[in-house]
Amino acid sequence: MEEQRLDRSGRVLAAALAGLALSACEREERVMRRDPPVVAALDEAALLPGGVGGAEPLAHVALGKPYETNAYEIAQGKRLYAAMNCAGCHGDGSGGVGPSLIDGWWAYGADLPSLYATIRDGRPRGMPPYRQKLPPDSIWQLAGYVQTLASYSAKTAAPGRDDAPQTRPAENRAPATQAPLEPPAR
Amino acid sequence: MNGTEGVRHPRGRDLPPEERERRLRRIWDPPRGILGALSVVDHKIIGRRYIATAFVFLALGGVLAALIRIQLATPEGRLLGPDVYNQVFTVHGANMMFLFAVPVMEAMGVYLVPLMIGTRNIAFPRLNAFSYWIYVAGGALLWIAFLLDFGPDVGWFGYVPLSGPQYGYGKRADIWAQMITFTELAALAVAVEIVVTVFKQRAPGMTLDRIPLFVWAMLVTSFLVIVAMPAIMIASSALILDRLVGTHFFNPAEGGDVLLFQHLFWFFGHPEVYIIFLPAVGMVSTMLSTFARRPVFGYLPLVMSLITIGVLSFGLWAHHMFTTGLPRVGESFFTASSMAIAVPAGVQIFCFIATLWLGRPVWRPPLLFVAAFVVTFTIGGLTGVMVASVPLDSQVHDTYFVVAHFHYVLVGGAVFPLMGAIYYWFPKMTGRMMSDRLGAWVAALVFVGFNLTFFPMHVLGLQGMPRRIYAYQPELPWGGLNLFVSLASIILFAGFLLFFVDVVRSAVRGAPAGDNPWNAPTLEWATTSPPPSYNFDGIPVVTSANPLWDDPETLPVATGLRVDRRELLVTSVQRAEPEARESSAGASIWPFLAAVATTVMLIGSIFSPWAVVWGSLPIAVALVGWFWPKGAPEDEA
Repeated sequence: MEEQRLDRSGRVLAAALAGLALSACEREERVMRRDPPVVAALDEAALLPGGVGGAEPLAHVALGKPYETNAYEIAQGKRLYAAMNCAGCHGDGSGGVGPSLIDGWWAYGADLPSLYATIRDGRPRGMPPYRQKLPPDSIWQLAGYVQTLASYSAKTAAPGRDDAPQTRPAENRAPATQAPLEPPAR
Repeated sequence: MNGTEGVRHPRGRDLPPEERERRLRRIWDPPRGILGALSVVDHKIIGRRYIATAFVFLALGGVLAALIRIQLATPEGRLLGPDVYNQVFTVHGANMMFLFAVPVMEAMGVYLVPLMIGTRNIAFPRLNAFSYWIYVAGGALLWIAFLLDFGPDVGWFGYVPLSGPQYGYGKRADIWAQMITFTELAALAVAVEIVVTVFKQRAPGMTLDRIPLFVWAMLVTSFLVIVAMPAIMIASSALILDRLVGTHFFNPAEGGDVLLFQHLFWFFGHPEVYIIFLPAVGMVSTMLSTFARRPVFGYLPLVMSLITIGVLSFGLWAHHMFTTGLPRVGESFFTASSMAIAVPAGVQIFCFIATLWLGRPVWRPPLLFVAAFVVTFTIGGLTGVMVASVPLDSQVHDTYFVVAHFHYVLVGGAVFPLMGAIYYWFPKMTGRMMSDRLGAWVAALVFVGFNLTFFPMHVLGLQGMPRRIYAYQPELPWGGLNLFVSLASIILFAGFLLFFVDVVRSAVRGAPAGDNPWNAPTLEWATTSPPPSYNFDGIPVVTSANPLWDDPETLPVATGLRVDRRELLVTSVQRAEPEARESSAGASIWPFLAAVATTVMLIGSIFSPWAVVWGSLPIAVALVGWFWPKGAPEDEA
């Protein structure tokens, strides 16, 4: 009897530790270079007609959705935001020539596949396509990052703060904004 | 020294020896059972645990070193990826510095200082227990995080901005910073205990000029810890604040300063080197005197050089930062001071050589390690003078030349003496001798293996191989030497393996040691091996610097301590004249509980600032339990 109880509590403990280990792995894992077939598979987002909304690529789900839950991937997206001069149109996120990314109004969808399509294929009225400039995994990093600027629910992972003047609210505010929203007056 | 008025407490001198021993054992012996093991406050048991734990961390860090050497043995090594390699070298460095080198030196002090100065327990024994548990928790934090693939990956000194909020994603850098908080807390606690123990608990007659050199070294080291460690705790706490609650200590855009972190780190980091090295000097002086069969040459210059190094060590931290663009005047000043510290270090080396020269050396294992120390440390000191000069340092900064240099001073300057010290004091700690034959083999393997492994790294550094690279291309001219280094490291690993084998073998069935197997002069050899829980039957009275040599037949003792409660003799700072009988705290579970509560708070504060608020409550409860008034007077003058 005693042994059984010990056995069970041991198993519970082992399961808890394993769960902790797995969650830690996902959160902190850093894949510096994905295998080319995986990168290719990440391009297979099944978008609805019109390019807004749809299903994520199976590869993203199979990887454990790193572009939503992994701090490293999201932070890489932040570096790409600076490197690809997103700020040229969107400013620090609060908008400029292009629309604001922090007001919670996503004209072409707030979900990751839509954001992915927005960056990859571009959108009417000025958003250029980036499919020739970035590989799919980098576009996913960027999409994951942009989503944290005004997500409706907080993620478990966040990019780091900039060592720069703080000009806008932090990413991953919980919640940043709440739907439904009014479209911005432009 | 009379008891409280009207009450006659039993004193040791009134009792026959067997009855006295029985009563002393009853009040000093540690409690039994698991709860008892967690409540122990005996400095010998805690010191032994500390030393054993530190050597476990040494072995774990050695495994990481082996991984590094396998990875770099050939060009484009494929054992470790870049991310894992970053974690491996960071955890190797942080582990060796914060979890092995400093704690093991402090631990030797915890075990030996009270015995060498003839007292019954360390000052603040419960703080001592608390310190050990905090240290274990800090070590577990680092290693569990590493095994779960989020070990720190920012290098052992964790410079911002790499470890700051912008580039240090996730919680990895927080693990590093909080591990530092744990180990520095533990080290500060021990430092305070050792200072008080040395100043106030020395045996009667042990004036300042009769203090054994190891005790002097631990005293100076403890002051270094007390002055240096707060700087790093500020740095690591400010880093965590930057990362967690959005302060801007190290953010230049908001008025912070990136270099401030380096200044704070190295204001601790350079004395840290001497925190590791000075106890080793003390060990070497002690062992030399025993095996050269004469008092150490130049006691006064040696003490003075210990203190000089301690003071100077705070004036040269910026030589780690020559490539950050300091003002020229600053660079010149720190070059001069870095070279100046070679003077007291040189005085020590010459005193050691003179002791050997004038004595009749007995080449047992501890002395072999001392010889290995003198040669290796001198080479490391010479490259130290080289990298103290700005033009050369600018050239070799962050190359394998620096890697070679600091392994020469740390392994040569501290690990060799430490291994000798284990051979020397193992009989005292366990009652059994280690093997002379295996000891000679260990010394030879480690000395040869070390030099073959690390000397070529100087050349690799001059050829331009940067430190911390996880792979190099076959076109680069580093392949041959790297393969040689990796092969040579097998000899070094074999030496360490043999050392551990000898320790385990001797602990189980080594030859019985007797009280004083080396015929050594200091007080720890005046009691049994291993010492009883109360250390000394009667408190020794010291009349010379080498009490067991100058008066081998009869060691005078002081009597009058009570045998119905834990009591120590408190003496004056300079002349060690008896002043009072002080009670010494008994076993208690509260230090353990306080350490658990502190651990929960510190780890929680990586994730949420609220953990500091709510985590303080259990700590407060534990401290109230710890300091609950007993109603008995603490001392009787």
